[in-house]
Amino acid sequence: MQEALFWIVSFIAIACALGVVLSRNPVHSVLFLILTFFAISGHYILMNAQFLAIVNIIVYAGAIMVLFLFVIMLMNLNADAEPQKSRLVQFAGALSGGALFLVLLAAMRTAALSPLEKTTNDIGLVANLGKVLFTDYVLPFEISSVLFLSAMIGAIIIGKKGDAPNREVASGEQLDGMDNLVNTEQLSTGANANLPNAFTEADELEAIS
Amino acid sequence: MAALLLLLLTGVNAYEALTLPLEGKRLFNDMLMPGQVSAWFNTLMTGCTLLYVMLSGRDIRKVGNHVADYFALIFFTLCGLYILSSYNTLLMLFLGIEILSIPQYILAGADKRNLKSSEASLKYFLMGSFSTGILLMGIALLYGAMGTFHISEFSFPTTELFSPLALAGILLIVVAFGFKVSAAPMHLWTPDVYDGAPTPFASYMATVMKVAAFYAFIRLFHNSLGSVSNKWMLVIMIITAATLLIGNITAVFQQSVKRMLAYSSIAQAGFMLFAVLSVNELGRQSLIIYAVAYTLATVGMFTVLAKLKDYTYDGFNGLAKSNPMLAFATAIFIFSLAGIPLTGGFMAKYYAVSALMTQGNAMWLVLFGLLMAAVSVYYYFRVIWAMYFKPGTPQLHEPMTTTDNWLLLFTASLVILVGVAPQLVLAFA
Repeated sequence: MQEALFWIVSFIAIACALGVVLSRNPVHSVLFLILTFFAISGHYILMNAQFLAIVNIIVYAGAIMVLFLFVIMLMNLNADAEPQKSRLVQFAGALSGGALFLVLLAAMRTAALSPLEKTTNDIGLVANLGKVLFTDYVLPFEISSVLFLSAMIGAIIIGKKGDAPNREVASGEQLDGMDNLVNTEQLSTGANANLPNAFTEADELEAIS
Repeated sequence: MAALLLLLLTGVNAYEALTLPLEGKRLFNDMLMPGQVSAWFNTLMTGCTLLYVMLSGRDIRKVGNHVADYFALIFFTLCGLYILSSYNTLLMLFLGIEILSIPQYILAGADKRNLKSSEASLKYFLMGSFSTGILLMGIALLYGAMGTFHISEFSFPTTELFSPLALAGILLIVVAFGFKVSAAPMHLWTPDVYDGAPTPFASYMATVMKVAAFYAFIRLFHNSLGSVSNKWMLVIMIITAATLLIGNITAVFQQSVKRMLAYSSIAQAGFMLFAVLSVNELGRQSLIIYAVAYTLATVGMFTVLAKLKDYTYDGFNGLAKSNPMLAFATAIFIFSLAGIPLTGGFMAKYYAVSALMTQGNAMWLVLFGLLMAAVSVYYYFRVIWAMYFKPGTPQLHEPMTTTDNWLLLFTASLVILVGVAPQLVLAFA
């Protein structure tokens, strides 16, 4: 029974992950991504990690997905707006992605993983997780607060209005709502203009890896 | 204020390095394993940060409205550096890399009035997140093969049967580290980001933060993967050769000194990769001395650059006539970057090359490195040529104060000191 469930969940996960990459419409991609997260949560439950499964759904399928949808709808991305990639880049991407796939395939083929011993049934419960987090892993747990603090500071620095691009300092005018609107629009178009470029480079990076 | 705090931090680190019995100590359930060398490295890098803050504190204040936040972010990166210099599990490595990187993404985009700065930040963020993903994948594969996160407990079978899982993991980790230190095929972000970021932050990103990533690199690959160096050596050799080639050759064609410095930082990363390739005591020492010499000279160069209005080579025309002290300090930094004897850069290159020669299996790389160092002299000396032999009146943002002049001269004298007495830097390494 459990094995059958594993195969079903794995099939859903892989099929949906392919759907994320292959669908032309970004909104469909996001919906497929939600399904993928649900399938992965299913895996967690099969591994007896209930807490992880719930958190995965709440954080990823809930909060982060809403953010994704917001961004996609704000930027008005659709199939037509997809940046045109040259043949060469497509070829390089396919070649290097295939090479990475082969390496990983070779790694998995001969991998001899020692089977996990299931000691207790309640290993994934919140109580145990909390205990481990505050004893064995207390340093990573506390240190990640520095990480989040710097991310929060970054969000405030970047998001705070008052020094948006193209601000007319010389005129000394108080920025009213209209001005701000114009400014944000300019900012978003600027980001849009840069995006295709950045993505191509990310692709090149992928090509290299 | 920030300078005072940094002074305090340097003092504490020096105290740790000099007096506390750190060797072999494991902290927080084996999460950290600080040693005397790590503490000394921390001391040196905190000292460099202190110098950096004193040199470009005024330029940092001019970047935007959130000065306190910028300094806070710099302190956070120092926290990441301390983790990276003493981590003992891959978990801490990941956290350290992230704590080091996220402030960099923000600092790159600190100048919000400039679209280029925002572009740099976005590009860096997207690609950096991608490389973090690769690092995580590598860590996962390595964990799968080893069954533990603790790098001091990695054990590799001595027989021919080497786990391909571990090999794939190591490969992915090499790629991720290569991105962080801007090694050749993963260097594409470097020129755009350093060019777009505000000059004082580009200076910090190119020096202390890059060196911290290098130290983490060497810590993993020497201490725990050193016994299987024959498996990863060739990959890193090819990366090193490509880094040296691309960094130096592309730098020749640059018109802007800021972009030239970005490519030069790629080229210098090639020499620092020599230290990763030399799995011996000398390799680690050479990294530390290279870190100090390179950081001092590059921070100095960027500080000079931040004073000038025109970032092209022509912006330096006639600097020797109008600001002889500034020009003199710049010349010392350039000498050091090019590796002229009596400066820190020469000693650093000397140590790097001799470490690789001790390793003994990459003589072609040594020769190639020396050839590329000769190429680098050309583009570095164009700055000196412009300063001393071309007529012109360079435009400064504001006149140099005496403090600025003396600080720059002090930095230049430190560069010379490292070149004359490298054993001072290596006192505890």
